[in-house]
Amino acid sequence: MTGTSFQTFTEAAQGLVNPALQSWKAGGGKVVGYFCSAVPEEILVAADLLSYRMRATGSESTEESDAYFSNINCSFPRHCFNLALIGKFEFLDGVICLNSCDHVRRLYDNWKRYVPTEFVEIMSLPRKTGPDQVAWYREELALLKEKIEKHFGAEITDDRLKGAIRLLNETRSLQRELYELRKRENPPLTGAQALVVMVAGTAMPKEPYNALLRELLDELRQAEGNGGYRARLMVVGGILDDPAWVQVVEDQGGLVVTDATCFGTRTMWKQVDESIGDPLDALARYYVADRPSCPRMYGEQERRSELVRELYSEFDCDGIIGERLMFCDQWLVEHYMLDHDLKEESIPFLKLERDYVTSGTGQLRTRVQAFLEKMGK
Amino acid sequence: MSTDNHPELVRYRSEREWFKLLHSQVKDSDVPEHQLAERTLTFCLDMYNRIIACVEEGDPFVATYYCSAPELCTAMDLPWYMVMQTPFLASSVPYLLDDIDSAEAMGLGSDLCTAIRLSIYYIEANLSPIPSCIVGLLYPCDGAPMLHQVIQHNSKWRDIPMFNADPPYWDDDRSLDYFAAELRKMAQFLEQHTGRKLDMDKLKEAIEESNKQFALWQEYNELRRAVPSPHGWDLGGSQCFSVTQCYRAGQKGGTDWFRKLIEIAEHKVANKIGAVEKERIRLFWFDLLPFGWIFDLLPWLEQEWGAVMVMDMFGNYPYTLIDTSSEEQMWRDLAKRNLFDAPMIRQARGVADNFVNDIARIVKDYKIDVVIWPGHMGHKDGSATIGIMRETCRKLKVPFMSLGLDLFDRRYATPDQLKEKMSEFFRAMGLG
Ligand code: SF4
Ligand code: SF4
Repeated sequence: MTGTSFQTFTEAAQGLVNPALQSWKAGGGKVVGYFCSAVPEEILVAADLLSYRMRATGSESTEESDAYFSNINCSFPRHCFNLALIGKFEFLDGVICLNSCDHVRRLYDNWKRYVPTEFVEIMSLPRKTGPDQVAWYREELALLKEKIEKHFGAEITDDRLKGAIRLLNETRSLQRELYELRKRENPPLTGAQALVVMVAGTAMPKEPYNALLRELLDELRQAEGNGGYRARLMVVGGILDDPAWVQVVEDQGGLVVTDATCFGTRTMWKQVDESIGDPLDALARYYVADRPSCPRMYGEQERRSELVRELYSEFDCDGIIGERLMFCDQWLVEHYMLDHDLKEESIPFLKLERDYVTSGTGQLRTRVQAFLEKMGK
Repeated sequence: MSTDNHPELVRYRSEREWFKLLHSQVKDSDVPEHQLAERTLTFCLDMYNRIIACVEEGDPFVATYYCSAPELCTAMDLPWYMVMQTPFLASSVPYLLDDIDSAEAMGLGSDLCTAIRLSIYYIEANLSPIPSCIVGLLYPCDGAPMLHQVIQHNSKWRDIPMFNADPPYWDDDRSLDYFAAELRKMAQFLEQHTGRKLDMDKLKEAIEESNKQFALWQEYNELRRAVPSPHGWDLGGSQCFSVTQCYRAGQKGGTDWFRKLIEIAEHKVANKIGAVEKERIRLFWFDLLPFGWIFDLLPWLEQEWGAVMVMDMFGNYPYTLIDTSSEEQMWRDLAKRNLFDAPMIRQARGVADNFVNDIARIVKDYKIDVVIWPGHMGHKDGSATIGIMRETCRKLKVPFMSLGLDLFDRRYATPDQLKEKMSEFFRAMGLG
């Protein structure tokens, strides 16, 4: 890829801060970080805040956070908290957590006590997806909206919310267009490159991101594409924000063509319903019931498993890699069930455990190679 | 009917035999604590017998988790058992380690809470009695909703109706109203799937009885404040919890059990008889006990260090006495008891302030010399709270120690390793 758009995306994905974020801040804009893809970015955007998906890109140690978390905690929050303690998140004007898992909800408790970010909140996301839970989350959204209005002096009108929904739906549909191109026999971008684009979308203001993504799509539509790979792969898991990890997989000859991850399809495979009159209703429905759920949502395993299989065939995959961060109970059991489902359909599945920071890739290489060979590729 | 027709009863029958053996050992004892243990074991055997009979005769019974308003089952005269029964109630069975290995061989990774791993194993290996319906729990930890999803996924259990009350994250009125509504739905669900009716007078009766139990439990807790403490690790929170949650929720037999417990403790306190001859360290064990290998560690604490577990995580909670004056209030208070008060649910589900407040309250009320966070490998929320706990203890000027163990698997951190670590710490702190 030769255009400037991909270069901009790479810059945004490779570091914590990027030029677009810096100029937003320089212009007096505020940035609010959020953990978990069920936090409604639309409310932040409607308040004229830059919504920033939390990650710990570039983190090298957990030395500082080890006094607060222990070695049975997921490395993702541990690295994030370490960066927070050493001041790398000073550019954030607020942080919103969710009770998404045992580790992240405690990250909130620690952040609130030990990091001087002014606005630190946590939302209560239900574990079920029925109408009562949608109603509960709508109240949570209303409360968050109120808190944001008060703290940031913003006025979040219904019109502004509807505008934010439109804008983010546009982002989602552009990203799906990008994924459409990956269905080609010779996809014009690799899995690692696609992840760069997705990650960048969580760290830049949405308008310029959409504009750059349109440019990139124009370029990619004409591109020749990648051939010569050994197998088409799908990745299923949670927080995968590190293109370098995907790169190691692809260096073995498997091309990642789609995913069910938190920086991938889980954030954009469905749209917020713009026909629902009350924007908070629409958002509550989307985040609780409609978007592809993660394992913490009870009663949805069958639907999640179906989506994996649908994507697998839509993107003409040869095998699936399940990636999980060590000590994540949710993904461990989810992969256990998925393994059963995939076996029934003879879909090759490789379960991989990893640390948030990609290092010592020897074992990863060996496992992927063995997987490709086992598939006869 | 023979066991062959009910392979799911294999483990259950062996557990019953195991408890029969334990029962025979205390049956004729003159020691008051043994007499109380005899009653607990009788409750336990009674539960096994009832469930086995239900399976054999095709009568309705329920599989539940802990803290899912068991008074409802009492009021509806529904036998119930806890899906996590083996790890929690029967973890002394001789095959526990083999089952842990079988769970791992099944593809359940070793960093998943062993209680969840074992419970999944018993479902997947068809070693849990298949109930008429399931009342589950989606908290306190990430493992719980995953266990319930495996139940839903399992081909034998898939069609068994299941209801899980959804837990809000907050401790406020809105959450109480929401959760009370969930409990009402749970009651309707039980009616629908067991053919039993919920008579509100009976529920009121059961709740009033469990109020008595919780009030007596508090009375007992007051007695444990005494120096020396009348009981240590071998009698207290775990047994009180099992009587109120698993065996005799809202039933008279449970209330009598508490009366007997108080009688024993009162006698000891009045005569200044402690759990050990010379109490040297009063410790707060802020977790569950290591049920799978309890005898390998806890007696040593007392013998070697005179360290008495004056309180543990399951010991002392501000259980709400439920106001039964109106239906509305009764549901709300029931919600409060199960969501905000019950141990483990209270800490592990909610915000870290609950850890802070419980430590502060117990250290002060029980003249605690050291707070130990055992750090069960499943308790990831707690392990992400160690900094907060340490700071709390520093402010209270009480030593804090974090261990790291598996409540069920002594191979994770061996008793010897833990003994060494604790001895070193006690020495460094000048304790004992
Ligand atoms: S990977 Fe699992 S444990 Fe880690 S933050 Fe995500 S959900 Fe939590
Ligand atoms: S982590 Fe704790 S609360 Fe969860 S199942 Fe294990 S023992 Fe129970």
